[in-house]
Amino acid sequence: MSNLPGSDVGLLARLLQFAVRGYQLFLSPYIGWSCRYQPTCSAYMMEALARHGAIKGGWMGFKRIMRCHPWGGHGYDPVPGCGCEQNKAPSEDHNPRITALSSCK
Amino acid sequence: MNEQRNLWIAIAASVVILVGFQFFFAPEPDPQVQEAQVREQLDVNGTNTPQAASNAPSVPGGQQQLAAPVVNRDDALAKSPRIKIETPRVEGSIRLVGGMIDDIQLQDYRETEEPNSPLIHVLNPTGSDNAYFAEFGWVAADKTVGVPNSDTRWTASSNELTPATPVTLSWDNGNGLTFKREISIDENFMFSIKQSVKNDGGSDVTLYPYGLISRKGEPKTAGFYILHEGPLGVIDGTLTEMKYQDLVEDGDVEKKTTGGWLGFTDKYWLVALAPSSDEELTTRFSHHVADNADKFQTDYLGAARTVAVGAEAASETRLFAGAKEVSVLDQYANEFGITNFDLAIDFGWFYFLTKPFFLFLQWLNHLVGNFGVSILIFTVLVKAVMFPLANKSYKSMSAMKKLQPQITKMREQFKDDRQRQQQEMMALYKREKINPASGCLPIVVQIPVFFALYKVLFVNIEMRHAPFFGWIQDLSAPDPTSLFNLFGLIPFDPPQMLMIGVWPLIMGITMFLQQKLNPAPADPTQAKIMMFLPLIFTFMLASFPAGLVIYWAWNNTLSIMQQRYIMYKMGV
Repeated sequence: MSNLPGSDVGLLARLLQFAVRGYQLFLSPYIGWSCRYQPTCSAYMMEALARHGAIKGGWMGFKRIMRCHPWGGHGYDPVPGCGCEQNKAPSEDHNPRITALSSCK
Repeated sequence: MNEQRNLWIAIAASVVILVGFQFFFAPEPDPQVQEAQVREQLDVNGTNTPQAASNAPSVPGGQQQLAAPVVNRDDALAKSPRIKIETPRVEGSIRLVGGMIDDIQLQDYRETEEPNSPLIHVLNPTGSDNAYFAEFGWVAADKTVGVPNSDTRWTASSNELTPATPVTLSWDNGNGLTFKREISIDENFMFSIKQSVKNDGGSDVTLYPYGLISRKGEPKTAGFYILHEGPLGVIDGTLTEMKYQDLVEDGDVEKKTTGGWLGFTDKYWLVALAPSSDEELTTRFSHHVADNADKFQTDYLGAARTVAVGAEAASETRLFAGAKEVSVLDQYANEFGITNFDLAIDFGWFYFLTKPFFLFLQWLNHLVGNFGVSILIFTVLVKAVMFPLANKSYKSMSAMKKLQPQITKMREQFKDDRQRQQQEMMALYKREKINPASGCLPIVVQIPVFFALYKVLFVNIEMRHAPFFGWIQDLSAPDPTSLFNLFGLIPFDPPQMLMIGVWPLIMGITMFLQQKLNPAPADPTQAKIMMFLPLIFTFMLASFPAGLVIYWAWNNTLSIMQQRYIMYKMGV
C-alpha cells in the first residue's frame, strides 16, 4: 500500500487508513457506492487521517459519513484545514502521493 | 511503469487478504500436535490436580480416580449397571456407579445427512476416549465425612427414566447420612436434579452442593473465528466465552455469580449446568491432565448447608444436554429463569439483529418448508426495504456511467490537480443534472444487516442438513461439487483448495456481471483489484456453507435486475 499518504502519521491513524483502504479495495466494489460528495467519504477519511491524525481526523471522517445521507448536503466538500497547525505534517497538500487518493469507491 | 507497480501491489494485497483470511476464518492447525506439546510440558511439572492441597472446599476433578484403560463407547457403557433414559427426543443412560449422566444420544440429529448415519452423541461414558459427562454431589467441609463420589454405587427407585417417571437414587454413607438424588427429564433436553441429604447421625455436618461437567480431550472444533466453540457461561449476567487452549495456557478461571449457567458448547450442541437462579455460586473453568489426556471441566460450588442432626438439606440444579434450538433455549430461559440462556447460540455483536432475523427465517421455513427458499424470500424482503435507497444510487451510478467518457477526459486534463478534478466533477454533475446518490450512511448502516444475516445462516442448527435443490443436500456445508473434476464427470478427487462448486461459480459470475454495470473506479489500484475480486471471492466462498453462497448469488442477481431495469429506463 505504497500510496497510503503520510509516512509520518501515527500508528493508530495508519491502522485506520489501512482499514479504510481495505474497504475501498475489497468491500466498496461489492456493496456499491453512493457518495454524494467529492471527495468521497472514504477518500475524505483517508485524507483527514493523514492530515489531522487518528482522533481528530477520524472524528472528521465520521462526521462526514453522518451528513452523507438522502436528506444531507452534497457537492464539493474537501477536508478542512491544511494541517499546518500540526507541526509534524507540513505542506501535505503538495504531497504528490495524495493525488493517488482521489478514488471514490 | 507506475501502472505495473500498482498491479503488483494489487496482487500482493490480494495475497495478504487471502492469507489473512486463512488466519481468521480457516480451520486452525491440527490441535493434536499442539495438545501433545502442552501435555509434555504439564507431565514434566507433575500432575495438575485441581483440588490441590487447600482447605477451602472445592469441586472434585471429575472421575480422575478411575484410571481405567480407554475403551470404546459400548464397552464403557457395559462397565457399570445403568438406568435407561428414554424420551421422544433423547435416548441414553445414567451410570449407577457415581450417578453420572454420561450417555445421551439425540434421536432427531444424525452425524451426516445420510438417513442411516449414526445419531449424534452429546455425552459419552466415562472410560471412553472422549468421555463427556455431568456429575453432581456434595463437598463436605470436614473431609472425614463420607460423601458420595465417583465410585459410589447408588440404589435406584426404578430402572428407567422417562418424562413421566422420574428416578430417585439413594445412598447411605453408613454414618447416619442418607443422600438422595431425584432425576427427572422433560420432553426436550433438560434434566432436573434435586439433591437432598438427611442427617440421622450424631453431629451436625456442613456440606456444599456442586455440579460439574467434565470433557476429555480437546474436541475438534470447526475453528471459525466468527463462531465460538468451547467453555462458556453467563456469569453474573455477562456472557463469558473462552477457548480450550486459553484454559490450557492461562490456567483456571474462577468467578462468583448468582444465577446464570455454564458449560461447553459445540457448534450445534450444548451441555450446560443451570443451578437455581437464587443461589450464590462459585463457578470454575479448569483444565488438567490425567491419564495422558487433557481434561476440561466447568463446575460450580453452591452455598454451605449446615445440616443439623435430624434435619435435611437440599439443592436443585438443571442440566441441559442437547441441540441448541432457539425456541427450546428461550422456553427454558423463561420457565426456569436462566439468564440469557439463548446466548449459548453465538448470535454475536449484532444480537439485536441476528436473533430477529433468525426467528423470521424460522417462521418462513415453517411456511414454505425449505430453508433455502426461505433464504431467497428473506433476501427479496431485505432488498425491498432497501429498494428506494438503492434505486437512488443506481440512478446516479447509471447517469455516471453514461458520462464515463467525459469524466475520463476531465480526469486526464486535471491529472495533477486533485482539487480541481473534484470541483470539475461536481460541476459536471450539476451541468448534466445528475441527482446526488443516497449517500454513504445508508450503505454503512447496511453492513451490520449483511453481517447479521451472514451470521444467522452460519450458526443456526435449522440449516444443518437442510436440503435445497439438486445437489445441495446440506445448506450448512460447502457445495460438494467441483469445477476441477467437471462436477463429477471425471474420476478425480480435487484437493480442498480446488473444490469450487457450482454455486460459488454462479456467485462469481453474478459478481462479475454486477461490476460491469458500474462505472470504472478512478483509482487504478482499485480498478485492478476489482478485476480479480470475483475470482478471489469465488475461491474464498467455495469453502463456505452453501446457504451463504446461494444467498450471495441471489442477492447479486436481484441487484443486477434492479440496476439493469433502471439503466434501461434511463437509456444507458
